[in-house]
Order: sequence, then C-alpha cells, then structure tokens
Amino acid sequence: MKEHISALMDGELDGRAAGEAIDALRREGEALECWRVYHLISDGMRDTRLLSAGFAARVSQRLEAEPTVLAPANLPGRTPAQRFAFAAAASLAAVALVGWLAFAPQPEAPQPMAQAQPAITPVLNVPLPSAANDYLLAHQGFSPRVSLQGMAPYVRTVAEHQDEPRK
Amino acid sequence: MLWRAAALLCIFAGAAQAQSPESLAWLRKIQDATRNLSYSGTFVYQHGGRSETSRITRLAAADTERLEVLDGMPRELVRTRDTVRCYLPESKVVKVERRTPDRSFPALLPEQLSALAQHYDISLGETRRVGGFDCQAVMLTPKDNLRYGYRLYADTASGMLVRAVTVDAAGNQIEQFMFTQLTIGRVTPDMVKSRHAAAGFRVEDAEAAPTRLAGWGLSSELPGFHKIVELTRRMGESKPVGQVVYSDGLAAVSVFIEPLQARREPARTGLASLGAIHIYTREVANHMVTVVGEAPAASVQRIANAVEYRRP
Repeated sequence: MKEHISALMDGELDGRAAGEAIDALRREGEALECWRVYHLISDGMRDTRLLSAGFAARVSQRLEAEPTVLAPANLPGRTPAQRFAFAAAASLAAVALVGWLAFAPQPEAPQPMAQAQPAITPVLNVPLPSAANDYLLAHQGFSPRVSLQGMAPYVRTVAEHQDEPRK
Repeated sequence: MLWRAAALLCIFAGAAQAQSPESLAWLRKIQDATRNLSYSGTFVYQHGGRSETSRITRLAAADTERLEVLDGMPRELVRTRDTVRCYLPESKVVKVERRTPDRSFPALLPEQLSALAQHYDISLGETRRVGGFDCQAVMLTPKDNLRYGYRLYADTASGMLVRAVTVDAAGNQIEQFMFTQLTIGRVTPDMVKSRHAAAGFRVEDAEAAPTRLAGWGLSSELPGFHKIVELTRRMGESKPVGQVVYSDGLAAVSVFIEPLQARREPARTGLASLGAIHIYTREVANHMVTVVGEAPAASVQRIANAVEYRRP
C-alpha cells in the first residue's frame, strides 16, 4: 500500500488503482499516516512553507461546525503522530539512484594551493571504494559536526545495492 | 609544533572577529541540546534523489546514543562516552572505534565556535515550522568556495537541531537531515541498548593510536583546514592504516594512507561522491592515499593532490 501512496503522490497510478489508494486514505490508519509523512518529507525537501500544527484538525472541526446543507463529507482527523509505523512508512519515500558524481583523475602534479580551483571534467564513473563504509566510519568520529548533530551524520554509508535505479 | 601554533593563532584571530552574538549563542544552544537532552526520533537523510530513514535515541544521563538504520543494509551504531560500536548483523561483525587517549570525541568549545567566524558568516535566518516544531534558522555561509554552507533549523524551545541542510556555493542543496518525528525526554536505558550486544559478533577493533606518520604531509595546506589528529589504526582486517584529519572547525577531511601491498585489490584512482562526502583516491610513493571529507570535490582533490612523502 505504501508504494501505492507514493505512486499516487507522483501521479503514476491509473484511474482504478488511484481510486483504491484514495479509498485506503479514507479508511485512515496507516495509509493516511503514510500520506502525511510523505508530504511532510517532500515539503521539507522542497522548502515549502508548512501549515501550522493541527491545521487539518482545525479544518475538520470547522467543517463539522458548518451547516449540513450540501456540506462535503468530514475530513478524517489525524492519527496520533507517535506511532512507530512512521519509520517504515518514511522508508519508502522516493528512492532514486544516488547522484554519483564521477570525475576524471586530476593530473599528478600538485596544484599550487593559492591558485583558483582546478576545473573538473566529468569523464568516467569511478565507483566508491569497496571499503568506503570503513573509511566513512573512521572519518565521522572526528567530524566536529557530530557535536551539533549527534550521531546523525553516521548514516552516511554506501548501500550494498546502489544499482537499482528507481524514479 | 608549528602546526599547533598556527592552529592556535587562527583560533584567536577568529575569536577576535565580530560576529552576531545571537547567532553564536544559537550554535551553542544547539550543541548544548545535542549533548544534554534525551530524545528519540525518526529522521530522513536525503541526498541526490535518494532518501533513507533512521531512528536515533539518546539517553543523556548515560551519555549513550543509538542509531538504527531502517533502510537497506541493516546497521546499528551505539556511541558511548568513549567508544562507537557499529553492528553489522548480516556479516555478524561489530566494528569498534575507541576514543584515543589524547582526544575525546569532538565537541566545539566556545572559542572554537567563535573561530568558525573566520571561515563562515554566521547569521540568524527566519523562524519557521519544521516537522511540527517552531524553529530558528541559523545560516553558516562560507567566505570562500573551499567549503559548503549550512542551514540549521533548531527548535526554539529546546534548541534541538530538527533539520540541517548542506548547500553548495550556488545555493543548491547537497544533502539534508530532517526529523520527521521527535520526542524529547521519555528515554529509558533499554532504548539505547544494542539489539546485538550479546549476539557473539566478531569484533574488529580499530586500535587507534596517536602517532606521527614520519615523512607524510601536505605540500601546502588548504586554507582554514588544520591538522586535528594523526593516528594509526586498523580498518577491517587490513594492516595498520595511517589517518590524518584536517578540519576548519566544522567540516573535516581525513587522509588515509595504506601500503599498496596491504590491499587485496588494485586501487582505482579517481573521485566518488556520497551526499556532501567526497572520496578521492590516488597513489603516492607506493601507498594508496584515500581522502574522505565533507567538503566540495575540488577541496578534497586539492588536499589529495597535496599529499606527499619525503624521506625523513
């Protein structure tokens, strides 16, 4: 279902599948939570301004208070945010191939440090070294950033299967 | 010795520069919150078109933090006051990094925070909601193109860093960390215990020891990056590897030096990237030099190209 919610957000579902996904959202529960988290993530990534806390709940309340003449169906309320289902839900957020940047090796001659940055020409793919995760683990412990952010930077590691291109 | 003197000079010079006291106070508040609060939350790490979810829990009273990666290859990291353990359940290996005797895990002292002003303009941005928290934005804008910029969003009430964005010189996002859920307090000792603590994993201890790597150095420094540590260590099952770390107070770049014959596979010279991290590999004097750093590709390459060996 999470894949369907993600595909729905991306406009990739056909009419029937979209209808099923929207039905799942109507039933609240995990699908709705998933929808909320995906939008939170995507808003965060795109720097979209967020609505104030409880916006959806307040809209629901207002709608409930409206006269019933031709009123739309009530929007469902939000489920509590502390459920751990979050993690699993968020994990399915748009996964795409990591943007590998690969560059030609620089000439061996050392560049004078005062000089402007050397031009870098992308030529061929140089994969991350097989021991990349060992290097990253060894490196992170000395990054001053850890003192501002705790262990979060330690998540930077190379996934085992980098070659699964998914849009 | 000269290195240290130079680094000290830079710190004092930096401290002397005027910088908005409010923005420095915010950096301090973020650092204090990171260290002094107990919290648990789910966060997304996003780079390129990819995002990964992890869970992080900290128990301040025990100075213990646990990170569990929820996507891809299962990994769990537990950091205590003096060790970081990385559990890899698939290979049944636990990698152990210990604090070296002369050095604790990094903490920015007040004078180091002020010294950041030498390389970054530090300013307060807008206040906005992020992940349900009212946040203050703190901007670190680099004064040159040798380092990345940072936009930090901290909860105005607690100081917790809710979102951190790394940007390049053109203002493009390189990577970001963002909590999608965060609870402050209510952490019990069980929550920071490893799930694999008693599982009989094979231990790979880095056995890091401070040292002087005779003959190795940089033909010229990258402006603002100073040597902060030099050690030998193990990586995986390899022979001892040298590691020298340079930092401008926020970004860090490690230079790894290993004898070519210690490697089982041929080295591949070139540059690879992972979010804000660049890894550049080249051969120097029959050694493999691998430079790993959260800095623009050109900076990592410049440090790599400056690595030299002179017969002591």
